[in-house]
Amino acid sequence: MKLHRISAVTERVLRQIWHDKRVLVFMLMLPAIAMLLFGYSFSGDITDVRIAFIDEDNTDLTESILESLQQDQAFKVTVLETVDDPEQLLLSEHYQAVIRLPDKFTSLYYAHFAMGVATSAQGTIDLTLDESDPQVAATIRMGLADAMMDLGEGGPVDIQARELYGVEVRFIDSFAPAIMGFVVSLISIVLTLLSIVREKVDGTFSRIWVSPVRRAEFILGYVISFGLIALVQSLVVLTIGKTVFDIVINGSIFWAFGCTILFAVGSVGLGTLLSALAQTESQAIIFFPLVILPSVLLSGMMWPVQAIPRLLRPLTYIVPLTYSNRLLRAVMVKGLAPWQEPVGFIGVLVFVVLTIALASVVLRQSAGERE
Amino acid sequence: MSNATAIFQADGVVKKFGDLRAVHNVTMAIPRGEIYGLVGPSGAGKTTLIRMLSGLAAPTSGSVKLLGSLMPIDRRVVEHRFGYMPQERAVYRDLSIAENLLFFGQIYGMTRSRIAERTRELLSLMKLSDRCKQRADRLSGGEKQRLSLACALLHEPEALLLDEPTIGLDPALRREFWGHFHQLNSAGRTILLSTHYLNEAEWCDRVGLMQHGGLIAAGTPNELKAQAAKHSGQASLDMEEVFLILTQEPVAGGVS
Ligand SMILES: Nc1ncnc2c1ncn2[C@@H]1O[C@H](COP(=O)(O)OP(=O)(O)O)[C@@H](O)[C@H]1O
Ligand SMILES: [Mg+2]
Repeated sequence: MKLHRISAVTERVLRQIWHDKRVLVFMLMLPAIAMLLFGYSFSGDITDVRIAFIDEDNTDLTESILESLQQDQAFKVTVLETVDDPEQLLLSEHYQAVIRLPDKFTSLYYAHFAMGVATSAQGTIDLTLDESDPQVAATIRMGLADAMMDLGEGGPVDIQARELYGVEVRFIDSFAPAIMGFVVSLISIVLTLLSIVREKVDGTFSRIWVSPVRRAEFILGYVISFGLIALVQSLVVLTIGKTVFDIVINGSIFWAFGCTILFAVGSVGLGTLLSALAQTESQAIIFFPLVILPSVLLSGMMWPVQAIPRLLRPLTYIVPLTYSNRLLRAVMVKGLAPWQEPVGFIGVLVFVVLTIALASVVLRQSAGERE
Repeated sequence: MSNATAIFQADGVVKKFGDLRAVHNVTMAIPRGEIYGLVGPSGAGKTTLIRMLSGLAAPTSGSVKLLGSLMPIDRRVVEHRFGYMPQERAVYRDLSIAENLLFFGQIYGMTRSRIAERTRELLSLMKLSDRCKQRADRLSGGEKQRLSLACALLHEPEALLLDEPTIGLDPALRREFWGHFHQLNSAGRTILLSTHYLNEAEWCDRVGLMQHGGLIAAGTPNELKAQAAKHSGQASLDMEEVFLILTQEPVAGGVS
């Protein structure tokens, strides 16, 4: 193993990428576009749900419920004086919910707690809800429950919630780690695959394998190039995440970079493996959707693994990005050390060891049947 | 000639791809200082034989030695000492001429300053000096071929394996290439090259005629001519006629 040969391969791969401005732009734009596109369209945070609020009781308590609702970014609250037919109002004015706090709501509310469960008297909120979009409806129910919970302190009940990790976590916060893993692995796999297939097609592989370059040096040269590229891409994702979406990173940035680079190493291995199955560049392109689709659909990037049908769930465990998502989310959102998320950490390690070991076998074959 | 001093050597070499015998029972030994031409039509097995000599492929049976080392097993011993120009031209199309040379120099452990020096020498020799920053995929066929040859010469190897170095070149450029080969040869390099241009056989010290994987005749151009003359009773044959005569009445393989 000689450093100068490893660095020769690294320098060459980086020069090739530097020369191909389209690849260079793609490499830097992909993380940016992915963050912006997914960040805006899939932000998952529902906003501007129209709600009509009718307070017939007018007490401090009902006032604070209104305040809570108004503070919730999900809602656009219109306060009305009275309502005859909530259903009619909902239909005619296109509200998604009409919330009415009836007269004596406050006194019944306190009475209930004062007299214990024995009483039938109870504060009632009159909620008329448009259920046509279950997600919007669920947001309203949750917003209302949150508003009631906010009464907590000083009120009759004191709910002390301990919100783990997710204190201020929005969809975009846990999405950034997934984008990082996705973009870095996609670029590493695709560019390694294309680059090695080209070496075979153009015959430069023959020159390399008669030279003193060893297979391990060749792989390491690629790994270092794409590790550096992964670092740059992570920076792009984090910069956009911070400046545009103001994402929260609870963990150590160094672990985040470390884990991303580790994942890039495995991806270089996978790209090398796939190169054995393609003799031409057009054959190589067939693999792109095979890499992209499972990563997007089955890794827990767009929706949680728990939302994937049970029948398909075992498949999620063979998608490398599943482990990277767990690992990077643990490190970036939860602020854990990698080994505190053993499934993700070990999954990524196994991915790296397996693909690099197999890649080395595959290269031996590409190098001709020399042994 | 003694086998101990042979630079390139094959003993009963056979290479099969499935049922296809790409190289069949080839025995030859090329001593230091020679230009040896493997001459034969496309598909004769020249590339397969050269790949085995370079250590890229292992023979199915028989043994191959390069600079005295058994290939491919002991290739590590001699990997610095020979240069190989593959048939595909084998340069990075998205790198410039200078960058291609830089990479191939670096993997042989040359320093940057030494590479720069050799690059200047080789590019002026190949008349590519003014194109040094040009990307390889913007070069003409001839320029690309000159770059490919330069890549094989960069680390100053004593033995050269050149697979169809003149393929596709116009006659003037081919002559220029042969000028380089003779110049390298007088500087002490041993060269084994392949060609399917039969007239190029004239410019080799010795020639091996290949057909259907076998070495059907070998010797100096004049020896081959004499052999063909004896077979046909004709005098003053050119190489094309020699090849036709000798392939019609094949001499048993294994001539050395
Ligand atoms: N890797 C391979 N697999 C199968 N057949 C091959 C392979 N390489 C060469 N051949 C076959 O071996 C024969 C000799 O090929 P080659 O050595 O390339 O000839 P030449 O270089 O003289 O044109 C041809 O019939 C060719 O199709
Ligand atoms: Mg050939």
